[in-house]
Amino acid sequence: MLLTVENLDVCYGHAQVLHDVSLRLNEGELVCVVGRNGAGKTTLLKTIGGFMSPARGTVEFRGERIDGMPLEQVARMGIKYVYQDKRVFSELTVRENLELAAYASGQSLDEAVAKVIAIHPKMGTLLNSKAKGLSGGERQILLIGRALVGDPQLLLVDEPTEGLAAIIIGEIIDILLKMKKRITMVVVEQNLSTVARLADRVYVMKEGVFSREIEDKKTIENPSSYEDQL
Amino acid sequence: MFRSVEKNPILTLICIALAFLIYGYATSLPKITDFMIFCIFVIAFDLLYGHMGQLSFGHMLYFGSGAYGCGMFAYHIYPDPFLSILAGVLLGATVAALLGTLVVKTSHAAFALSNLALNEVGAYLVLSPWHKWTGGEDGLSLFFKKYGFINFGESTFRFYFCLVSLLLVVYLMLLLVRSPYGSLLKAIKENEVRVRFLGYNTFLYKYITFIISGAIAAFAGALMSINLSYTNTSLIAPTRNVEVIFAALMGGAGSVIGAVVGGTAFMTISNYLAVYVVRWEMFLGFALLIFVFWFREGIWGYLSKSGGALEKERSNP
Repeated sequence: MLLTVENLDVCYGHAQVLHDVSLRLNEGELVCVVGRNGAGKTTLLKTIGGFMSPARGTVEFRGERIDGMPLEQVARMGIKYVYQDKRVFSELTVRENLELAAYASGQSLDEAVAKVIAIHPKMGTLLNSKAKGLSGGERQILLIGRALVGDPQLLLVDEPTEGLAAIIIGEIIDILLKMKKRITMVVVEQNLSTVARLADRVYVMKEGVFSREIEDKKTIENPSSYEDQL
Repeated sequence: MFRSVEKNPILTLICIALAFLIYGYATSLPKITDFMIFCIFVIAFDLLYGHMGQLSFGHMLYFGSGAYGCGMFAYHIYPDPFLSILAGVLLGATVAALLGTLVVKTSHAAFALSNLALNEVGAYLVLSPWHKWTGGEDGLSLFFKKYGFINFGESTFRFYFCLVSLLLVVYLMLLLVRSPYGSLLKAIKENEVRVRFLGYNTFLYKYITFIISGAIAAFAGALMSINLSYTNTSLIAPTRNVEVIFAALMGGAGSVIGAVVGGTAFMTISNYLAVYVVRWEMFLGFALLIFVFWFREGIWGYLSKSGGALEKERSNP
């Protein structure tokens, strides 16, 4: 088991957002967490990533507890996060964004650049552009590319298609599909047609609890069968 | 023109050298020596503020540590100018290293005010409990050994020594901010949490940057002590912190060239306007308002923008 989340309670001050959430993730799997706004999906991802500490419960990665661990230590274990807000380091160029990730993981800049170009060749022409000049889709691709630097073990992807044009959504899904099997991923997503294409397994989250776990591929590919449970 | 200056470090150094040579010989070499030393101090301050996004209200502490380190070494131990400067830099870096373990853990208002508080403590220690070594309110009068043409008693020699020192600091700082380390500082300024999630121990990088900044400020303080041939409490006075903040804003925070422009502009106004206007500080206040509301990029930022090079400056500060 790559990741095990057990009986997680997470609170914002006095407000409890996650209630007794448990999740398991096998190596090479792509698990989607679906739910409406405010269901607690991003909070779950942030807790796994080390941005938040749980009030109760544990998060184990390869058998080692990572809840409460400093962020940088979690990142060095190979857990990478692709943020929902698509905020890159806007004052840096695309190359410098990749360079930061490369130095942190001990990979060469050339390798890092090659990885991004492999998933999106157009990024090669944007290397010297300021990241703040990129479109939403390009920022998302840069974020995914940056997360790929240094051979991550687990990718936490928060709403990768939110706010993007349909044509870009297709590209992002293609990129995630290319990465599937090579990298284990937890993807938080509201768009069920995207989930249908990506997921090996789906957790449905409602008001801070998992209301259902779907493993059957046919059910996953038929979102209307669980849409009403969101 | 501005674009070429920004792109080429050697051209930057030549322009700075020419500007100070012309300014020095057209006005007064000792006065412009003060200006150049102040520019080094602004560069040190701006490394923290403009590049890393941490505003310190107490950087005079490190300037003063350098001045007193240099002065006390020359007065009590041995009047060698180079060893005295080295003592000043080492003292400033040591003070920054010790206090940095506390203040670097804070940010924003807490960082600014804890630095100010420590500056107040430092100024008090120099003035009272340690007056036997620091000379208290009277300070220390200094003289330095001569070695052939190396004579710090000569204003012309001091001018050239400080010019070379400024050029060296500018060059090293350009190398630093254009390196991956500089990118890391910019990223920390933008979003420290996300830098940590790339795997960086941001405290360590902020701490190292704090020490570098403290050491450069101390270097400026040591040079000032040599230039004035004395060290007194005005060189560590917390009330003077506003000067360096003002100069950095005026020139354009986050740019090495901007720090030099701001330092020179501030010193020009404070030295020359004071001759004609009694309450010259009022005009500085108005100028600050204008910069805050209309010229946030500062003088250098505005010039770069008008030359169509603002973006280049930001990507290659």
